[in-house]
Amino acid sequence: MSMFKARVKEFEDLFAQDVIDLKQLRRHTFNGVPDVHSFRAISWKMLLGYLGSKRSSWPATLAKKRALYNQFIVELVLPPGHTQNGDGNDDGDGDNESRGVGLQDHPLSEGPESAWNTFFSDNEFLLQIDKDVRRLCPDISFFQQPTEYPCEIVVHSKGEHGRRLHERVVPSVLSSANVERKGLGMTKINLITKRSAENYAAMEEGQEAHWEVVQRILFIYAKLNPGQGYVQGMNEIVGPIYYVMASDPDLENRTYAEADCFFCFTALMSEIRDFFIKTLDDSEGGIKCMMSKLSNMLKAKDIGIYDHLKSQELHPQYYSFRWINLLLSQEFPLPDVLRIWDSVFSDEHRFDFLIKICCSMILIQREAILENDFASNVKLLQNYPPIDINVVLTHAVSLA
Amino acid sequence: MAKKTYDLLFKLLLIGDSGVGKTCILFRFSDDAFTSTFISTIGIDFKIKTVELRGKKIKLQIWDTAGQERFHTITTSYYRGAMGIMLVYDITNEKSFENIVKWLRNIDEHANEDVEKMILGNKCDMSDKRVVSKERGEAIAREHGIRFMETSAKSNTNIEGAFCELAEAILDKTSGRESAENTERVVIDRGNGDKAPGYNKCCA
Repeated sequence: MSMFKARVKEFEDLFAQDVIDLKQLRRHTFNGVPDVHSFRAISWKMLLGYLGSKRSSWPATLAKKRALYNQFIVELVLPPGHTQNGDGNDDGDGDNESRGVGLQDHPLSEGPESAWNTFFSDNEFLLQIDKDVRRLCPDISFFQQPTEYPCEIVVHSKGEHGRRLHERVVPSVLSSANVERKGLGMTKINLITKRSAENYAAMEEGQEAHWEVVQRILFIYAKLNPGQGYVQGMNEIVGPIYYVMASDPDLENRTYAEADCFFCFTALMSEIRDFFIKTLDDSEGGIKCMMSKLSNMLKAKDIGIYDHLKSQELHPQYYSFRWINLLLSQEFPLPDVLRIWDSVFSDEHRFDFLIKICCSMILIQREAILENDFASNVKLLQNYPPIDINVVLTHAVSLA
Repeated sequence: MAKKTYDLLFKLLLIGDSGVGKTCILFRFSDDAFTSTFISTIGIDFKIKTVELRGKKIKLQIWDTAGQERFHTITTSYYRGAMGIMLVYDITNEKSFENIVKWLRNIDEHANEDVEKMILGNKCDMSDKRVVSKERGEAIAREHGIRFMETSAKSNTNIEGAFCELAEAILDKTSGRESAENTERVVIDRGNGDKAPGYNKCCA
């Protein structure tokens, strides 16, 4: 316990400095951030470059970025022609103004300039996002819970449809009815109510679930990065970051979890973007290159196991594609993922350490792998057995 | 050499748009269970199930692929080794049905020429949300000379049947090859007179 207290003390001292020593921060976070105060949220924000090392600069940075994010929501999320309060004040139904929509634009317009046309073409990738955020971290209930800090301009529909992104792609508001004629003019109408069986159901007016927030983050990211758009797996990258921001014990910060998460996610994506782009698969920094790095490291560390997997034709992409692509976020339970990311984010030579962790995961299972047949080995590596994550990390550190 | 616990090994592949239920179909078949909350498949996943057909123990090695376009360079490399491919669409999703043609082209480009194919219209329990009629599914299958079934991983409709039928078709071909090395390739729903095509086992 005193070890734990000592680590907490380290972080307390570190964040008490006016100018935080980044090297020291990296050293501390590499060994794991204690689950107290806002330590992890602050550490990640700094390691990902969202916050600078000068503490006095934080309030201004945060205020600016959060305002910018709010602007993104207004411009990119709200439907064309939405009514917006004139001076950004939240209440009061004062003068309404419309955005980007004149008389010549309307929902059936196919003109390239039409805001409505864009609105409908966005729905294609929105549909994909919608499918994926509804299946984010299904083993914990967090993402299905309502957030305490819903986005006010979105959750109050003011009678408009489509402010909540999923409303655009899930036609659940339509109800159909079977009309049956029985005898003389007797009409029986069977209302079929659409049941949303999933637990990832949308919330009522004024509320929204965490997955809805994550959906908005991914949507805005895709809108702002049209060359890349949305790619499956991004949901698994944004998930842990959002979890950390949205469970920050500092309530002021938690209020802005969405905006802060967006910028941290964007920063992280700028480093791993190439993993998500098909045409860059073979380039340096692309996913295939990362997989060969792992393969080469394995070969150097343990030729026996490398040869064994090779003789079984068990190619690295069978397991390591997902490992690397998602920074191991699907291989371990969320608390372990957070711990892994502490180390991965603090790695100055980004992702060298990630490759080491992956290599250790294989080496730790050496005996089993050498004994198993092909099928059991694929299973083992695709469903990594429960393990104390510190064993893996300590092993990875030992790989020089 | 370890003792073989099976007589034949068949490699199968599941493809189709994202969210049509490929992982759920596989999970129902291998674990006989259903959950609607699967994480999305990234890259490729894998399951094994041994079935018995005509007195032979057949080990099915089934690869489950990610549906999104981004993963195609990774997933198409698995087409080559596959002996059977299940092409899945969602009967409540028009687009996933329209894309069947695209997936078939993919198969033509990347898979072995004599790979056994089957089209599955999944989620047939959701009749109130259906947008693709069974007739349209049957028509496209007939047009390409491929087997077809409507399935539901949720209500466990035709899942076992689909895998067994695909495995049997491969078995037919394999045993044909054993007896005469130089057999011509046959189009499945026309050539084999002794086996009825699979159009008749769909769910209600």
